[in-house]
Amino acid sequence: MDDGTRQVNGERGLVLRISDLCKSYVMGEVTVDALRHVSLDFFHGELAVLLGASGSGKSTLLNIVGGLDVPSSGKLFFHGKEITAATEEELTDYRRRSIGFVFQFYNLISSLTALENVQLVTEISEKPMPAEEALALVGLGNRLNHFPAQLSGGEQQRVAIARAVAKRPELLLCDEPTGALDFQTGKLVLEALEKVNREIGTTTLVITHNVSIAGMADRVIHLSSGEVTEDLRNASRLSPSELVW
Amino acid sequence: MNMLRRKLYRDLMHLKGQMLAVAAVVACGISVFVSMSSVKYSLEASRQQYYSRYRFADVFMQVKRAPEFYRESVGSIPGVASVTTRVMADVTLDVPGLDEPATGRIVSIPEYRGMAGLNDVFIRKGRYIEAGKSEEVIASKPFMEANGLEPGDRVGAVINGRKKELVIVGMGLSPEYIYEVQPGSFFPDNRRFGIFWMGRRSLESALDMSGSFNDLSLALTHGTSEKDVLMQLDHLFKPYGSFGAYGRSEQLSDRFISDEIKQVGMQITILPSIFLGVAVFLLNIVLRRIVTTQRDQIAVLKAMGYSNEDIGFHYLGFAMVPTTVGSVIGTALGAWLGRGLMNVYGDFYNFAELVYYFRIEDVALSVLLSFIAALFGAWSAFRKAVEMPPAEAMRPDTPVTYRPGIFQRESLRKKIPVPIRIIVRNLERRPLKAALTVIMIALSVAILVAGRFTYDVTDRMMLVEFSEKHREDVTIVFRDPMPFAVRYNIASLDGVLEHEYYREEPVRISFGHRSRRQSIKGVESAEGLQRLVDKDNRQVVLPRGGIVLTKTLADILGARPGDMLNVDFQQGRQLRRQVMLAGTIDEMLGLSAYMNLRDLDRLAGDGGALNAAYLRIDSSKAGRLYSKFKEMPGISGIMMLKALRKSFDELIAKSMNTSTIILTSFACILAFSVVYNGARISLSERARELTSLRVLGLSIREVSIILLGEQALLTGIAIPLGFLFGIGLSVLLSLALSSELYRMPLVFSAYNFIFAFVVIIIVATASGLAVRRRLVNLDLVAVLKTRE
Repeated sequence: MDDGTRQVNGERGLVLRISDLCKSYVMGEVTVDALRHVSLDFFHGELAVLLGASGSGKSTLLNIVGGLDVPSSGKLFFHGKEITAATEEELTDYRRRSIGFVFQFYNLISSLTALENVQLVTEISEKPMPAEEALALVGLGNRLNHFPAQLSGGEQQRVAIARAVAKRPELLLCDEPTGALDFQTGKLVLEALEKVNREIGTTTLVITHNVSIAGMADRVIHLSSGEVTEDLRNASRLSPSELVW
Repeated sequence: MNMLRRKLYRDLMHLKGQMLAVAAVVACGISVFVSMSSVKYSLEASRQQYYSRYRFADVFMQVKRAPEFYRESVGSIPGVASVTTRVMADVTLDVPGLDEPATGRIVSIPEYRGMAGLNDVFIRKGRYIEAGKSEEVIASKPFMEANGLEPGDRVGAVINGRKKELVIVGMGLSPEYIYEVQPGSFFPDNRRFGIFWMGRRSLESALDMSGSFNDLSLALTHGTSEKDVLMQLDHLFKPYGSFGAYGRSEQLSDRFISDEIKQVGMQITILPSIFLGVAVFLLNIVLRRIVTTQRDQIAVLKAMGYSNEDIGFHYLGFAMVPTTVGSVIGTALGAWLGRGLMNVYGDFYNFAELVYYFRIEDVALSVLLSFIAALFGAWSAFRKAVEMPPAEAMRPDTPVTYRPGIFQRESLRKKIPVPIRIIVRNLERRPLKAALTVIMIALSVAILVAGRFTYDVTDRMMLVEFSEKHREDVTIVFRDPMPFAVRYNIASLDGVLEHEYYREEPVRISFGHRSRRQSIKGVESAEGLQRLVDKDNRQVVLPRGGIVLTKTLADILGARPGDMLNVDFQQGRQLRRQVMLAGTIDEMLGLSAYMNLRDLDRLAGDGGALNAAYLRIDSSKAGRLYSKFKEMPGISGIMMLKALRKSFDELIAKSMNTSTIILTSFACILAFSVVYNGARISLSERARELTSLRVLGLSIREVSIILLGEQALLTGIAIPLGFLFGIGLSVLLSLALSSELYRMPLVFSAYNFIFAFVVIIIVATASGLAVRRRLVNLDLVAVLKTRE
C-alpha cells in the first residue's frame, strides 16, 4: 500500500482487484449467500455506481472492500496487496490510510461538532487536508461549530463526506449516501461527491438503489442476488445538477 | 486522540446523572474504607504511643496487702523488666454541686514526678502533686470535665472511714483508664466516678498501709512468656490474698479499646465490599448500554481506522472517569468522616493525645480496589466494543426475541392490562438483569436495616440492663466484706424500701485444662431487685446447688451443663472446691458466674459475707439518704442506676446518631443510584417503543406506568428480600462484633422495617420522578426519525 507496492503493480492505475469473492451468512437455520463469485477491477480516479435492489449484496461488497467484513472465500487486492490475508492491525491501518466511508445514516458522533467530527479523522491520518478545508469543499465552511443535531440531513451527510475525504483516501466508499435525503438535498450531496472525485482524484464507489444516480458515474455495475449482472461504462458523465428522479 | 477525549467528555456530561450515581456509590465505598481504615490505624497508633510514652504495664495484680519488700522478689522473676507497686482504694466522694455521692478510685503515685514508674500520669492541666502535701491530688479529666471542676477545686472524700478534704491540683489521664468505668460497670458515668492520683506516702498513711502495697504492675522484657510470669505471681502472692494476676488482655480499659479497634476493622471489610459490588453492577449495566447505543459510532470509528485498543480504552474511560471522581470525593469525604469519628471516639476513650492519622496507603489501597472493581464492571462492555465486527456494528442491534411467557395463557391474557403485560414480558426477557437489579436494591434495604439494627440492639440493652435485670435505684459497695448483720443497719436507714445483698468472690474457675480468673456473684434471689435476664430478654432461673455461667464463659471453658467445675478461691482459706455447672445464660455484656448466696457461702467454707447491696429507695427521702451515704465509712462505691442510664443514653445517642446518619445517607445513595440507573437504561432501551406508544395515543401517564412500573415492581420485590438480607447482614455484624465484653442479640423492631420501607419508597419515587421528567421531554418526532 506504500509507494513501493504501487510501482510494482503491473496494470497501470489499477487500485482494487476483487477476485471470485463469496460471502454467506448463517441466519438462524438458513444460510444466505450474500455474494456469489464476484470479480471486479477498479482504477484510479474512477467513479463507479453499484446498483441493486435491497438484499442484492451491495453493502456486503462495500463492507468487504472497506475492510469492515471478511469474505467467506475469494480474494481482494489493494494495489497488489492481498487485503483478505491482512491481520487485524493491517486492516485497521488500511482503513486509516486508504479508505473513506460515507454511510446512509451519516453516523456522525453526536457529541462532537462538525469540525470535531472531521478532526476525529485528521488526527489519526498522515497527510490530511485541514478539517476546515474539507468542510469548505462540501460547502459547509460556515457551519463548523454546529453539532449534528443542529444540522439538516443533507448538511450532516456533507459533514460525513468531508470527514471521509479529509484524510485524502484513495478509495471513497459511499453506502446509499442520498438514501435518507430528499431530491434537492441529495443533489447537493452528490455534487460534493463529484467535486471530491474530480478535484482529488479519489476512486469512488457509490452504492444506491436509485437508478437516476447512475448518470453521473464513469461506470455502472448492477448486482442482483449477490452476482454482478451488468458492468457498463457511460460514454460521458452527467453533472449531478442534471440528474432527475 | 484529542477528539475521542472530547467525545468522552461530552458523552459523560450527557450521561452525568447516571455517571454521578456511579461516582456516588464509589465515593461511599471509598469513604467508608478510608475513614474506617484511618480510624483503625489512628486508634492503634494513639494507643501505642500512649502506652509506650506513659509506660503502660504488661501484667497487673491486686492483693489484699503485701509487704513492700516483695517488690524485689517480683523483680527477680525472669523476664520482668520493671515493677511498680502501688496502693489504691475506692472511696465515697462528696462533689460540690452533686447531691448524690460519687465514687473515686484513689491510686498512689510517687511523691516526686521523677520517680514515676509504670502507668504514669499525663498532666493535661495544672501541676503534679507536691511532696508532703497530703491533701493534694490529681483528678481524671473526664471526671473533672463532667463536674466542671478546675485545678484548685476541692472534693470531700471518706478514706478508710475518715473524712478528708482533697485539693485538686492537676487534671490527669492515664493509659490504665482510657475507658474510665467504675469497677463492675460497663458504662461510663463520668459525673459519679473518677480516678484520683495521690502521693504514695499520704495514701499509705490514710489507708494504714505503710510498708505495704495492694496493687502491682509489671513490664515484661520482649519475648517473655506472660503465662509463666502470671503463674509465678499467683504462687508468690497466694498467702497475701491475691485476686489473681492478669495480662493486658484482661485489663478492662485495654479490653474495651482493643475490642473497639477489632470492630472497626470488621467494618472496613463489610460495607465497602457491598458498595464496590454495587458499583461493579452499575458500571456493567450502564456501560453495556452505552456500547449498545453507540454501536454505529463504534462502527464508524473502526471504519475510520481507529484501532480496537483506541476504542476499547475510550469506552473504559466511561468507567474510569466516574471511578476517579468517586475516588476523589470518597477520599475527601473519608478524611472528613474519619476525623468526625475520631472525635466521637474521643468522647468514649480518654487518650492523652488522640491523633488522627490520614494515611495515603489507605487511600491508595481503596482507590486501587475501586479501579479493579471498575475494570471488572466495565470488562464485558469493553470486550463487546472491541469484539464488535465493524460491519455488524453498522447494522442495528438485532431485535430482541420475546418468547411466550406466563401471560400467553388465554385466560390470563384477557384479565391483564396491556401495560402490565409489557412490563412482565420485559422482565421475563432479561431475567438476569432484573434479578441483579432486585439484589442491588435489596442490598440498600439491607444496609438500612442493619444500620437501624444497632439501634434496636441498644434499646434492648437498655431495657435488659437498666430495667429488666436491675430494678434497684442504688447499689452500694462495701469497703470490706460484711457479716449478715449489716442488713439490719441498712434496713434501719430512713428511706430504704427494699434491700437485697450479694457476695462477690474472686476465684479461678477451671474445667479440664482451661481456666479463667472470674468472680462468682452470690445472689440472695434471682427474682428480686436483680434478676438473671438473657439477651433475648428471657428470665433465667438460678438452680440451687449449682453455678450458672454466661454462655460465652462456659464456651471459653469448654464446659456444658452437668459438668463439674473446679473453683479455686483466691481469698480467705483459699479452698479448692467443685461445683456443678447448672446452666448457662446468654447475656449481652461481660462474663459472669452466678450462684445462690447461701450455696456460695457454703462453697467458700466460711461464715458468709456480703460485698454489696441493691437498694430501692423512697425518692422523697433520697437527698437525706445520699448525705448519709457520703458520710458512711464502710462504703467504697455507689452506683445510681438512673444516672448511669442517663449518662449512657447521652453518650450513645451522640455516636449512634452519627453512624446512623452516615449509614442511612449511604443506603439512600445506593438505592437512588440503582433505581435511577435502572430506569434511565430502560428509558434509553425503549425510548422508541415508548414514543411509538405515545404517537399511537397513549397518555404520558400510561407510558410512565410502563416505564416506571417495571422499576416499581422490581423495588416491590426487592423490599422484602432486602429485609431478609438486612437480617442476614445483621447476623454477620453481630457475629463479627461479638466479643467477651459484648454480644448482640438479634432483635428487630417493626420500626426498623418501616423506616427502611419508607426510605426506599421515597428514594425510588424520587428517582422515578427524575426519569419521568425525561420521558415527558422526549421529542416524539426526533426519536422516531433516528435509527434505532
